[in-house]
Amino acid sequence: MIAWATTALVIASLLALALASVRLVIGPTSADRIVALDIFLAAGVALAVAASLLTARTVFLDVAIGLALVGFVGTIGWARLVERAESPGTSEERP
Amino acid sequence: MNALAVLLILSAAVLLVIAAWGVIKLPDALARQHAATKAGTLALALLCVGAMLVMPEWEWVRRLLLIVVFLLVTLPVASHLLARAAVRESVAHQRSIDAAPVLSTREPPSL
Repeated sequence: MIAWATTALVIASLLALALASVRLVIGPTSADRIVALDIFLAAGVALAVAASLLTARTVFLDVAIGLALVGFVGTIGWARLVERAESPGTSEERP
Repeated sequence: MNALAVLLILSAAVLLVIAAWGVIKLPDALARQHAATKAGTLALALLCVGAMLVMPEWEWVRRLLLIVVFLLVTLPVASHLLARAAVRESVAHQRSIDAAPVLSTREPPSL
């Protein structure tokens, strides 16, 4: 029963990855593409937890922790980059 | 306990698809970002609680709690910065449209 639910979770994560890929390709602004990257991060964490549930090993949970860490830093970095690129006059005034 | 874990994991799967569908369907960057962050956070938190119910050992619960706490601390900050970048980007885009020289008085094609 758990294995069945986890398989459904894997399929849902892959579906979410496909939908986010569409947004990554067609997204009109850079912020839309960063949002798609956020969905990639969520699907990656879900896939790591599903892998650890299916194999009964805690190693994949460490992968999920690392993904959450790196995804946060990545999102912040991209958001700062978009902000700086779109408003060149205001970014120098703030520390 | 087992049925509750299955229910939590399945609702996490449904919420993850809803988040991605919102990113496709919603009209502008702010709405898309709101859908991705809120539904994604809830989906991951439900999934971690479900996994805790499946494997109630300290080795698992420790790591899953770490994931949940970390996501709940960091995702609002990332979402806020992303929303600010989206607003600035759309304002700059609109300003560049307004500043562009008018070459024709015809209505622009509606997208």
